[in-house]
Amino acid sequence: MTEEIQVHLPAIEKHVEHLRQGFSYWPTLENGMPPALGDYRWPAELILSTWYQAGTGEPPVNELEYRSGDSGGGFDKLDFKFLPEGDQLPPDAEVDLAIPLNSSGFGREIEIAVPWYGGGMSFGSVSEQVMLARSMAAKEWGTFTCTGEGGYPDSLVEFKDHIITQIATGMFGVREETIQHAPIVEFKYAQGAKPGLGGHLLGDKTTVTVAKMRESVPWVSLFSPFPFHSVYSVEDHRKHVDWVKTINPEALVSVKVSTPTDVDMVAVGSFYAGAHIVHLDGSYGGTGAAPEIAKKNIAMPIEFAIPKVHKYLQSENIRDEITVMASGGVRTAYDIAKAIALGADGVVLGTAELIAIGCTRCSNCERGRGCPFGLTTTDPELSLLIDPQWGAKRISNLNASYAKQLRDILRRLGLKSIRDLRGRTDLLVYLNT
Amino acid sequence: MATTNSYQRYHIDTIPTPDFVPWPNKFDVKVNRPQLAKLLISEIIHLKGDMKAVTSRPCMYGTFSGPIGGFAPRPEHCVGCLRCTVQHPKMVTITRNADRERLGDSYFTSAYVDAVSYEADTGSIPVKGAGYRGKFGGEGWDGMWTDMSEIVRPTRDGIHGREFISTVVDIGEKPSYLIFNDNGEITSAKPRILSIPVPFIYDAPPASAASSTLNEILARAASETQTLAVMPIDGDEWSVVSDQLPVQSIVPLIKLGDESTIEHLGFTPSMVEIDISDDPNSNFQNLISSIQSQFPDTIIAVRLPYDDPDNLLKLYEIGVRVFHLFADFHGRGQDGRFVLDLIREAHLTFVEAGTRDEVTLIGSGGIIAAEHVPKAIITGLDLIALDTPLLVALQAQFEGDCANRKTSQFAMPKNLPLDWGIQRLKNLTATWRDQLLEILGAMGLREVRRLRGEIGRAMFQVDLEREAFAEIEGYLVEAGD
Ligand code: SF4
Ligand code: SF4
Repeated sequence: MTEEIQVHLPAIEKHVEHLRQGFSYWPTLENGMPPALGDYRWPAELILSTWYQAGTGEPPVNELEYRSGDSGGGFDKLDFKFLPEGDQLPPDAEVDLAIPLNSSGFGREIEIAVPWYGGGMSFGSVSEQVMLARSMAAKEWGTFTCTGEGGYPDSLVEFKDHIITQIATGMFGVREETIQHAPIVEFKYAQGAKPGLGGHLLGDKTTVTVAKMRESVPWVSLFSPFPFHSVYSVEDHRKHVDWVKTINPEALVSVKVSTPTDVDMVAVGSFYAGAHIVHLDGSYGGTGAAPEIAKKNIAMPIEFAIPKVHKYLQSENIRDEITVMASGGVRTAYDIAKAIALGADGVVLGTAELIAIGCTRCSNCERGRGCPFGLTTTDPELSLLIDPQWGAKRISNLNASYAKQLRDILRRLGLKSIRDLRGRTDLLVYLNT
Repeated sequence: MATTNSYQRYHIDTIPTPDFVPWPNKFDVKVNRPQLAKLLISEIIHLKGDMKAVTSRPCMYGTFSGPIGGFAPRPEHCVGCLRCTVQHPKMVTITRNADRERLGDSYFTSAYVDAVSYEADTGSIPVKGAGYRGKFGGEGWDGMWTDMSEIVRPTRDGIHGREFISTVVDIGEKPSYLIFNDNGEITSAKPRILSIPVPFIYDAPPASAASSTLNEILARAASETQTLAVMPIDGDEWSVVSDQLPVQSIVPLIKLGDESTIEHLGFTPSMVEIDISDDPNSNFQNLISSIQSQFPDTIIAVRLPYDDPDNLLKLYEIGVRVFHLFADFHGRGQDGRFVLDLIREAHLTFVEAGTRDEVTLIGSGGIIAAEHVPKAIITGLDLIALDTPLLVALQAQFEGDCANRKTSQFAMPKNLPLDWGIQRLKNLTATWRDQLLEILGAMGLREVRRLRGEIGRAMFQVDLEREAFAEIEGYLVEAGD
């Protein structure tokens, strides 16, 4: 896993030890909160409460906020109308969090045990250690993670039943065997953080290993153009699906799209082109580098896209035949529940997982050698700050806390299954504060 | 600026041009020295004298890499990653520097100042990881998103198709038809029109910032980017400076009552701007005629506040075709409305009169970030006259809240170097254009002219929220409206 540079392991071990102590210490609030930590979407409290959950598998017991952020809109303007205590399900009631990913009635049936899976983060944009940590956690939780567009490191093959292979416009790392491995193949048409702009891996991050994986030249910037040059229409997309089906007839197909004004039409088009999953990626999320102008300004936030798509699919009488997954700013268990109440079947997580393993949301991912916490980097020394086993445990703990909270939310709403929450906007309340 | 016979791709050379005046650091770094000394001693013991490990520091950016390491941190290197404070909670404290956050004013906040400074410094689009960090939406520009297409791109050529997008805009008279005689010759008046390769010009600086050096920076940067710089003309000085300045890029700004100054101009301007803001209803037809007789090919623009749409039609009637409409520096009109509404009103005034395609609307005031440019054009402007962003690119300091164009106080750096200033404005222009290309590319549009007034390519928070949340208990019409 290491390349070119010789690393001094005692120094790495020293830093790892201090970092892990810090991740445990800060959420105790003994020293207050780091004054420069956090932003409107992820205030310091939310970051610290995520570290807490990643450390313990439980929601915080001190006053740390772990349900919503401070953005003043979207999920942060919504809450649940819980039933009076007497009408809620008993604390020991069985509550089911599983959702099906293939509702078409044809082909392979895949169910995930929790209503989320991990979003695409490519090898190159994150380290192999991070990919491994995510894959291990996905396996443990009976769900998936996604390769992103950067190839499929060999170390991931043992987790292949829990890995979605992404095909994006640059086709980096897409090979027959990576499609054959995949229970689900995701076509990335666009991504929320940079809708309509394509991808760009800076030359500095295209190390020898990354280049080999992507079948490109080391230290040369790589572009994933926007959009697929072979797709002009729904019919062209259908050809893409056929191509995947030829290689792997069993694979489910997910279509990842951004959230333009006609996102509802896009979803319907995806369905008729043979998608099992339409993955809506709203504009406020994303872990990779993106132009600031795109994140804030292009395409609509996910909170608005979900009900638009849900209602339109209902009006077309196809809502129960396609799975809608939502991403782009889903930060907490409460956000997951709100997204589902707005009409999604489940969500796709990215940033929350990175925060669990140490991200401070400092936005320096592209600076110098990459992430100083060893996350979004290909630097051989920095990557060692993340031990995959440790990372997997942290993500699993976060999952455990989310699952616990979701069960609690459902129980307080009197629902026995997460599937019963879908589209239940009547259980939400808008906060006029 | 002038049309050419052969195709040339428009390009602005960007060169890194760091700040001329040191600005406050973004972060303050405090280290508890006794704690650090203790840590070092304990590490020497535990790491058995492995000094490579002992001196390995958490900061990758050099904050603790001075001669005595963490005992004298160098906050100018800190990028706020927080790794040091995560690792050593009781030893290192990182805070946002209040002095830095005081840059700008209540509208042009320090976050916007940082963005413009970065753009003017690097000429690059600000790119960051980890998603969006700001408020969900908000008023004005913040409650508006631009559309994109999943599969349409401007052209199938190039990597992204962006390479071939045109950002050319036309300024001047655009008659809806021409009249030809039997020989096929045009007999109607030849329209006065010019094209510039970017949809922004540089506006005249406010009085507190103005200087001959600033004028020269504006004029030369405008010339090198092939745009225009509006400049107040000050009597006799003009015949002198015009010898040294790239006059084709200068748009003399004439106030009512200063008509005679036009006679002293030592050059034929491409465009002249008449400021009628002190008396928007005055009769200045004679002035137009006299300028036109002196400079028959010169385009005449009229500068006035947004607020009076009826007056726009009256001005159209007397032959005005180029309107420079301005709000205050915070984007507010005289009646307090935000510039987004004001642009829309002006645009629709001409749409309803059936004359929108014949006029050019230039707007200024409140447009302080790259994303505001496409939003203003979608709302109805043809192009923008940049004002305060130019000053910020040149490291102007705001003295108090600077909303009012006449009374605002900006302190420009002393001894502003000419070449530095020109390059900073070139960098800013290049990166704002590049960001416009990103927006156009995402929409699949091949030229900015097609964006004008295309309100269907925008999404507004109030509409989206109503559509998404109207059936949710507690959602009030007022909340959405
Ligand atoms: S550089 Fe900062 S924002 Fe990016 S992954 Fe690392 S900690 Fe998170
Ligand atoms: S916050 Fe990050 S950049 Fe700043 S001093 Fe600490 S480690 Fe260095």
